[in-house]
Amino acid sequence: MVTLKIDDKQVQVPEDTSILKAAEKAGIWIPTLCYSELFEPYGVCRLCVVEAVRGKRSRVVTSCNYPVREGINVLTNSPKIQWIRKTILELMLARWPNVKVVKDLARDVGVEKPRFVSLQRDEAEDACILCGKCVSVCREVVQANVLGFAYRGIKREIALPFGVQSEACIVCGACAHVCPTGHIKMVVEDYKGKKPEFTLGPKTAIYVPTLQAVPRVPVIDADSCIHFKTGGCEYCAKVCEPNAINFGMKDEVEEIEVGQILVATGFDIFDASAMAQYGYGTLDNVYSSLEFEMMLNSTGPTNGQVLTKDGREPRSVAIVHCIGSRDTNHHSYCSRVCCMYALKYAHLVHDRTKASIYQFYIDMRAFGKGYEEFYVRILDKGVKVIRGKVAEVVEAPPAQKDEGSLVVRCEDTLAGKLLEIPVDMVVLCNAIEARRDSDAVRRLFSISKSPDGFFLERHPKLDPTSTMTDGVYIAGCAQGPKDIPDVVAQASSAAARMLSFISKGEVEIDPVRAFVQEEYCSGCKICNSLCPYTAIEFLAEKKVSHVNEALCKGCGTCVAACPSSAMTGHGFTDAQILAELDGIMV
Amino acid sequence: MKRYRLQLMVCAGTGCVSNHSVEIKDALDREIEKHKLQNEAEVVFTGCNGFCGAGPIVVVQPDGVFYQLLKTADIPHLVEEHLLKGRPVKKLMYSPPAEKIPIPKMSDIPFFSDQTLIALRNRGMIDPEQIDDYIARGGYKGLVKALTMMTPDEVLKEIKSSGLRGRGGGGFPTGVKWESCKHAHGDIKHVICNADEGDPGAFMDRSIIEGDPHAVIEGMIIGAYAIEKVHQGYIYVRMEYPLAIKRFQIAIKQAREYGLLGENILDAGFTFDIDIRRGAGAFVCGESTALMASVEGKPGEPRAKYIHTVERGLWERPTCLNNVETWANVPQIILKGAQWFSSIGTGDVSADPWGGSKGTKVFSLAGKVNNTGLVEVPMGIPLRDIVFKIGGGIRDGKKFKAVQTGGPSGGFIPESLLDLPVDYEELTKVGSMMGSGGMVVTDEDNCMVDMARYFLAFTQAESCGKCTPCREGTKQMLDILDRISVGEGTEEDLVTLEDLSNVIVESSLCALGGSAPNPVLTTLKYFREEYEAHVKDKKCPSHTCRKLNTYSIDEKICLKLGHGCHVCVKHCPDAAIIGERKQVHYIDPAKCSKCGVCYDVCNFKAVQVA
Repeated sequence: MVTLKIDDKQVQVPEDTSILKAAEKAGIWIPTLCYSELFEPYGVCRLCVVEAVRGKRSRVVTSCNYPVREGINVLTNSPKIQWIRKTILELMLARWPNVKVVKDLARDVGVEKPRFVSLQRDEAEDACILCGKCVSVCREVVQANVLGFAYRGIKREIALPFGVQSEACIVCGACAHVCPTGHIKMVVEDYKGKKPEFTLGPKTAIYVPTLQAVPRVPVIDADSCIHFKTGGCEYCAKVCEPNAINFGMKDEVEEIEVGQILVATGFDIFDASAMAQYGYGTLDNVYSSLEFEMMLNSTGPTNGQVLTKDGREPRSVAIVHCIGSRDTNHHSYCSRVCCMYALKYAHLVHDRTKASIYQFYIDMRAFGKGYEEFYVRILDKGVKVIRGKVAEVVEAPPAQKDEGSLVVRCEDTLAGKLLEIPVDMVVLCNAIEARRDSDAVRRLFSISKSPDGFFLERHPKLDPTSTMTDGVYIAGCAQGPKDIPDVVAQASSAAARMLSFISKGEVEIDPVRAFVQEEYCSGCKICNSLCPYTAIEFLAEKKVSHVNEALCKGCGTCVAACPSSAMTGHGFTDAQILAELDGIMV
Repeated sequence: MKRYRLQLMVCAGTGCVSNHSVEIKDALDREIEKHKLQNEAEVVFTGCNGFCGAGPIVVVQPDGVFYQLLKTADIPHLVEEHLLKGRPVKKLMYSPPAEKIPIPKMSDIPFFSDQTLIALRNRGMIDPEQIDDYIARGGYKGLVKALTMMTPDEVLKEIKSSGLRGRGGGGFPTGVKWESCKHAHGDIKHVICNADEGDPGAFMDRSIIEGDPHAVIEGMIIGAYAIEKVHQGYIYVRMEYPLAIKRFQIAIKQAREYGLLGENILDAGFTFDIDIRRGAGAFVCGESTALMASVEGKPGEPRAKYIHTVERGLWERPTCLNNVETWANVPQIILKGAQWFSSIGTGDVSADPWGGSKGTKVFSLAGKVNNTGLVEVPMGIPLRDIVFKIGGGIRDGKKFKAVQTGGPSGGFIPESLLDLPVDYEELTKVGSMMGSGGMVVTDEDNCMVDMARYFLAFTQAESCGKCTPCREGTKQMLDILDRISVGEGTEEDLVTLEDLSNVIVESSLCALGGSAPNPVLTTLKYFREEYEAHVKDKKCPSHTCRKLNTYSIDEKICLKLGHGCHVCVKHCPDAAIIGERKQVHYIDPAKCSKCGVCYDVCNFKAVQVA
């Protein structure tokens, strides 16, 4: 421990502590600008200068990086220090008269108007003041080493290598975060011609997934966390008081034994960029239904406001039904939910903006309880409902830019007229489609799918929740497009079916099933792969196949296929069948 | 080695080479061949002779006859007379200004006779590209003594008690530095030779390297041995010194071949090698921390030295950095002993290493003196002796005004302080510094405001821009000086200038900012009346700041001597001169932009400045 005096106040701190830290402990404020706890002191703004006095010798040092020395007396606000600080701030204020942080510090030390006029004067409010924080954070914390200084002396400036966007930049935003003037900004822009994922602004690496998340705790996104990219940073761990940050945590595979499974894997939405005529992915302000839903959400990127990409309120919005649904080129089925959510969008857009709203539909399918009434309400609000499939969405020609940035072309089939409607925003009602991984899921649970790609139920009318595999049930859009009330009803039904088995405690199985006569089995494994219920396993130590009788449905495929006649059905052995034949023939 | 009756030492220092000394050597070789003297006389290229103002120079050894300002046309006569007939050629010899009698021997010329040579002891005597020449003059004897007869501690003790202090500017006692490095924690340590001589007009280090590179290498090996755990040294040379780099490369190669570098040096079980690192042209890289950053491959910017480089320097390892001249002194101290070295110079260093300045210091004498060149003088010599004895006084009989020591960040010393002994503390007391050894003499024609502005413009342009006071402050100072020199300065500006200078000195990150205001501060202190003339009367007393001058044409001279020659009219960029050929010319003050071209072009001195 080192004992020293700061402004005549005795302080005891560990060795290697900086004077700045020691002063903080003593409750003495020293102005800083280029200092941050995130990285090693850079020591260049020279605002944190103090006098270190030992005996008669006094030395002006920067408190941020000067280590405490035994017995020194530190003066943080002597006339000499005030004089230096004032002059430095005069110099800075002369060069950057409108930067808030400089103005504030200058006011704090009593500088109103600098004595100097700078020929390099930069009037911007967000001018770079060369504090070097961004360079330090990039080098020491992020360890990406992207930012640096170029040129020397008065021409010094922050620069990227060779002045171009660096491949080494991981777009972490740390530089923008530490920049005291806002000179460095994060801009979402098209990268290599590809539209970025719909994020509408930078997301931090630590976030609470949604406001409704359960449990409501933050998670680390390994894809954007600096630590997982460069091995550096770990700043969150340094500041987390309960020590709850664990970088070692990994995804784990847990095996749970269960008796029944409900497959409710949901759906994907149709990728509208496959229908190039609607401009999704190429034109600004053409959104998919899910993106628009995000925008409407009060915890979403725009806090629920309906805004065009350049931040304006749209003057008109087109809502286009049946994108990929009821379309022989894509999905011939009706996605069932779009009409109603499209009406909901119209309702919300009407509530939140003054935009005129257009609905383009093929048939309005408002079939549920209260749905038709809602449709009528929407009509009463003055939403323009046009029957006709939109032909294309294009960028507005310059002459029409005043009315809207986009033009929707379609035929009004009721009026028999061709329409060209300028709008500022287009919302596409994407079809619901089976998940991309549905084939893998199907194989995993030995269930089938219907021609539309959704999982096949045992019976479309009489048993819509169970499958051909006992103990495996399906519910929700995994089985087919449906709205929330239908999903709830189907899922409740499946749950009830499953509960009935649980409460019974035992499972009844059909007596007709196959078994292996082990002495005849040659271990050829032909049956193993044939079984549609994956009921046959191979016992490696005995080198014979074995039938799991709980899974076997007694279909007989294996019996017919077995080349050594080792596979036999209970009650249907060769001897029994021959005996029956004998009986008939007698 | 072959022996010759005569050896002609042709200076191949940069100054002489640019005055065609290579052609002189070729001409000498040709003439010697013509007279079939090849077996009697040898022509040798040497490093810088030092008397650069007299170049190209040839010294005929062993007599030491000094020939100066040679032209190729003089060579046939010289060879015939001196080499063949044995009659030295008087008209090619040096004669002091105002005297007509030539001085034949180099050692009798005052420029040389008042010098004491330690670091430059081999100048003009050896071929710097031959290690045998160096060894023949007693080279590597110090190393042999250190490695075979002394322990590292004894070597260190010798350097400490010699009182040698850093010749690069700071004047830190070399022995103390070595000792701190020796005691610093670390298994790998380094020594560095700072040969990034960036001061404008300074060429001490360059001449030592180009003339005697082995002295530096020998010093570094001895230093590495004394500090211990040092097996790799670096020489940081600026890229602008290609000849120095080449000479170092040759010297290192030869030293390796002779077993003086590399593994198991002189079979003493000590391993050490040296590599060269080239600087890319930033003045600030002469600062030790910036230099080390540059060697590491990082931007050459200084850092705070609150933790010394002897503890954490190059790659965070204890590092001992010394200047070229410091290293070159080391072999002689080991060879001749600390007592011999400390008998030269001022003060007493037996108790306090800062107690005096010992040995010699090399200065590059430039400016308005008669004899410009490189001089090595004992510490404590009065400034007056350097300027008037060695330097031969002011050119053209003008009046001395001031001498600036220590490079672009040094201060100006006025005539009243000319009897000041040259010593670290004395120079610092008067606001200047020893620096690396630049010495610029100014006379009555120099404007002190302009001189201060000139040097500040250099340091301002070379500021790395890392810390606020140096980056912003030096630019503000320069702006103020620019205003003063065009007559827009106010008396308040002088107050601001002084105040700002002191803030920069106090608060800059490194010594560049900490010393950059010195020329301004000393001129403000000793020549304030010149500043006041600029701001109050809007006049430059020495007429250097042209915007403050008024130009007029003396009618009589114009008409009588020049017959209205009209040259000024042709050159005037502002069409401010009125007058027909063969008539009197006039300057229209309303149009004149005070560029001074008319003054420069008038062959009859008819243009008057006021």
